[in-house]
Amino acid sequence: MKEQNWEPKIIAFVCNWCTYTGADLAGTSRLKYPTNVKLIRVMCSGGIDPVFILKAFERGADGILVSGCHPNDCHYNAGNFHARRRWTFFHELLDYLGIDKNRLQFSWVSASEGKKFVDVVSKVVNDVKAMGPFKGYEELNNEFMTEFPDVSGVDESMILKEKEGEAV
Amino acid sequence: MKIGVFICHCGENIGRTVDCPRVAKACEWLPGVDVSLDYKYMCSDPGQNMIKDEIRKRKLDAIVVGSCSPHMHEKTFRKAAVDAGINPFLVEIANLREHCSWVHDDIDSSTDKAIDLVRMAVEKVKRNVPLTTIEVPVTKRTLVIGGGIAGIQAALDVANAGYEVVLVEKEPSIGGHMSQLSETFPTLDCSQCILTPRMVEVYQHPRIKLMTYSEVEKVEGFIGNFTVTIRKKARHIDEDKCTGCGLCITKCPTKKKAFNSFEEDLAYRPAVYVPFPQAVPNIPVIDETICMYYKNGKCGMCVKVCGREAIDFHQQDKIVTEEIGAIIVATGYKLYKIDKKPDDSPIKGYGEYGYGKYKDVVDGLQFERIASASGPTSGEFKRPSDGKEPKKVVFIQCVGSRDESKGFSYCSKICCMYTAKHAMLYKHKVHDGEAYVFYMDIRSGGKMYDEFVRRAIEEDGVKYIRGRVSRIYEKDGKYIVRGEDTIAGMPVEIDADMVVLATAMIAQQDASELAQTIGIPYDKYGFYNEAHPKLRPIESTTGGVFLAGACQSPKDIPESVAMASAAAAKALVLFGSDKLEREPVVAYVNESLCAGCFYCKKVCPYGAVEVKEVKDRNGVVYKEVAYVNTGLCQGCGTCTATCPSKSVELAGFNNEEIFAQIAAL
Amino acid sequence: MEELRKHAKELLENKTVAAILGYVEVDPKRTRPAVITKPEDASKLVFNEYCLNNLAVYLTKARIKNIAKQNGAVMKLGIVAKPCDIHSVIALIQESQLKREDIHIIGMNCHGVVKDFGMEFSGETLASKCVPCESHKPLYHDIVLGEEKQTPSVSDEVLAKIQAIEKMTYEERFEYFKNEFDKCIKCYACRAACPLCYCQRCITDKTIPRWIESSPHSRGNFSWNVVRAFHLSGRCIGCGECERACPMDIPLSLLNRKMAETAKEAYAYVSGRSLETPTLVGSYDVKDSDELFM
Repeated sequence: MKEQNWEPKIIAFVCNWCTYTGADLAGTSRLKYPTNVKLIRVMCSGGIDPVFILKAFERGADGILVSGCHPNDCHYNAGNFHARRRWTFFHELLDYLGIDKNRLQFSWVSASEGKKFVDVVSKVVNDVKAMGPFKGYEELNNEFMTEFPDVSGVDESMILKEKEGEAV
Repeated sequence: MKIGVFICHCGENIGRTVDCPRVAKACEWLPGVDVSLDYKYMCSDPGQNMIKDEIRKRKLDAIVVGSCSPHMHEKTFRKAAVDAGINPFLVEIANLREHCSWVHDDIDSSTDKAIDLVRMAVEKVKRNVPLTTIEVPVTKRTLVIGGGIAGIQAALDVANAGYEVVLVEKEPSIGGHMSQLSETFPTLDCSQCILTPRMVEVYQHPRIKLMTYSEVEKVEGFIGNFTVTIRKKARHIDEDKCTGCGLCITKCPTKKKAFNSFEEDLAYRPAVYVPFPQAVPNIPVIDETICMYYKNGKCGMCVKVCGREAIDFHQQDKIVTEEIGAIIVATGYKLYKIDKKPDDSPIKGYGEYGYGKYKDVVDGLQFERIASASGPTSGEFKRPSDGKEPKKVVFIQCVGSRDESKGFSYCSKICCMYTAKHAMLYKHKVHDGEAYVFYMDIRSGGKMYDEFVRRAIEEDGVKYIRGRVSRIYEKDGKYIVRGEDTIAGMPVEIDADMVVLATAMIAQQDASELAQTIGIPYDKYGFYNEAHPKLRPIESTTGGVFLAGACQSPKDIPESVAMASAAAAKALVLFGSDKLEREPVVAYVNESLCAGCFYCKKVCPYGAVEVKEVKDRNGVVYKEVAYVNTGLCQGCGTCTATCPSKSVELAGFNNEEIFAQIAAL
Repeated sequence: MEELRKHAKELLENKTVAAILGYVEVDPKRTRPAVITKPEDASKLVFNEYCLNNLAVYLTKARIKNIAKQNGAVMKLGIVAKPCDIHSVIALIQESQLKREDIHIIGMNCHGVVKDFGMEFSGETLASKCVPCESHKPLYHDIVLGEEKQTPSVSDEVLAKIQAIEKMTYEERFEYFKNEFDKCIKCYACRAACPLCYCQRCITDKTIPRWIESSPHSRGNFSWNVVRAFHLSGRCIGCGECERACPMDIPLSLLNRKMAETAKEAYAYVSGRSLETPTLVGSYDVKDSDELFM
């Protein structure tokens, strides 16, 4: 039952100037994409820490997108160049450790590429759907929560969300 | 902490696909939320008043507004919060319109997503720290890079408004490409005649510091506070002593060693030269690469004839630094030279058009020189190979433009017009001559522009052929131009005496390097990017740097001038206040934890990270740590992600805030 | 050996250095690190195939630094260093932890060390870091001592293991590393032994926010080992001290070596080899590969 209704949880870390604005444009253009993706805005793709990715997996993300300005179009000139090196390493490392390359994807989406944003997001959602839930990390997470119920990492608000059904 | 959540319906924009009352109700349960309401239009006066009232009534500490993109109304709601007495940085926007209601159809799932988005914002706002805006002073001086018509116009506008201008031009004279043109469309008035008064005005203006034969080497700082390093190349002539009599030029024995680039290589120039007679400033330059003195230490003819002792063979490049508040980039364009390129060249050439191989196949600017009264032929139509008057001239448009395979996919915009002008100028002088134009479409939008093209066709009898040329080859002293007339649907062959190619306008060779020096983005062609294609076409994305003219995209003279004046206006807007306010989104270092590896310093695009010595109580330095100069920091946060020990954080987007958002998912 | 002792003695007598970090003998097949401050102790120094430790790790430690601070001035520190240890020193200089002029490098020609104390030196017992080693002579030094000898050549087992892992499926790899990391007891010996782990407070010790769960549990272990490997990628010089220090025998060099190979393949960069080239992390090239990005 759970398997059937499973919808992937996808987090996108996007830069304020290009991809976030590109996603705004997708909205303004009334393009459609799946609801699975939630955006976290940072100022520059150069400011996205790889640990954010681990944290997101720890919080049950099934797929992650990291997106910024195209090379040479960075609002801060060089942030995305530094990001590019960082992600090349990190992606290689995660791949080596057995995290499917498609669980963590990268893109450059400029402020004028609303359509590209939709395409990228749809691709990530489809890829992750094809792979199914992230079993490996789920195991880690479940184990952690059974052994450390007090610090389960579940926010109170997650529990309260259950109540919300009654409330509405 | 007491948080207020306000959900906007945005009329039907959000309300249609997100059940706003349900979102508001669900958010009441979130820990820390004191009140959660929804309303038709939060950004309206009643909506804002509702927010203000709730803040005051319930003594809220922070608010979350579920509405449109923060790029739209974040300022509005921050202002409302400030009015009600809370810090503007304790306001978070959940983007329920652009990122939710507009991009999803299903009410249930988009409402669920909306709740998630608000929850993320609530978790973030809980960790937000009150911040105060940073004030920085403004240096009211402008740097204009490029002394073509755009740069000249911008410099004059700013200077006439009462502010100082530094105008930097890399060539020995200002004037740019416009000074090379013979006549200008659509009025056919002489280009030099309208340009030179402006050039002189620049030269004589008390508030314009003109630096020709100079290049910008380094730009540091930020809006209102740039420090610019300029290299003043050695002219080998003392500018203060030279009167511009030109005796050195006429006496220089090295006459034919270098092409005259102003004449588009159709003529030679001596080792000591001014680019053209009306040059501003009228001070020659000695070309070290061909001057005999630098070859063998002999000659020195110019020294002998110069009565003012202005020649200085030992003059060195000078480095000048200027304090600048606004930068106007007006570096212009160059023409695409289409001669055959090596195989590994990123841009290809057109082997089949014979440019570079046949002397009488010329490009647009070369034709301008041939047509110009001050040009190498003194305005008489003589072809470069044998000096004879061409009786049949073929003009080919869109050479390199709108051509992805061999050139560039964009339209160069001005070629339709200048080709019509060229054909017309030719017909006006060579009455028995024939002019043919091969075109793809005629794009002549502009005041009196289409009329101008019609005049060329109808009054001057220029023959327009719609189609592309496939090949040009030489046969019996003629150039056989083979193409296709797509309207008649048959091949055409013209035995021309001369061929003029309207080659594409492309970015300057060093456009990308200059962009990196200044710190502005550019597109894949090397043209500089504007901040917004419609609403901010003059600004670059870097604060305080404005664009003018063809460095942004192909433009004709009136457009360049209009853009230059607009850029000047933008600079003047900046000078309208003595201090600038900027968002306090800057990095700060936890000095007690910093180990001083200075990776932050290495990655900082603005050089905002400095080394700071930490001393013990005896005044002995015991460690060096990073220190962020908040004046220079632009808040990208690249340092925060690079720091291995997380000793540097970005205000407004600190790691705790981001972790809270991740955790809320 | 005698020239090493003689040189060390001179350095200390002339007050060229405040102290010398070197090795002293415990038994014929075991050495230990020592800080020599008195000229008469210089005769205790040894150098042989049993000098396993990378002494560069001590250079950033406050206690060692304090020895160099005498009468308000900073004196030089001498270090007896194998060529690979010198790579660490170079990396530390590049990362502003040391100044070249504050260090007197006594470079030792090296033909490899043993895997562990007590072993007879031979091809079979050659430490895995020595197998692919390409610099048997010190790259940067103030003096070079010791004789040049041929390193036994043996097959590169670590690389073979990495290639074997790369052939596994994602699930198998995840399972493999999860099981390896599960052994971790969070003693942070790997961190303490690493010359490049010099942060004043490690990311894992930060609590607001909590970056890495510090409990010795699968999830926290996984994160810790990923982040440790990531923070060293492009920086690790491959001295292998972390793996040697690990009481639970987690094959950390499988990670470090893999990332070093990535740096070599993607950016033709090997850490700690040159003071002139900018560090890989902290620099960029506009022509870097864009393959990863849609």
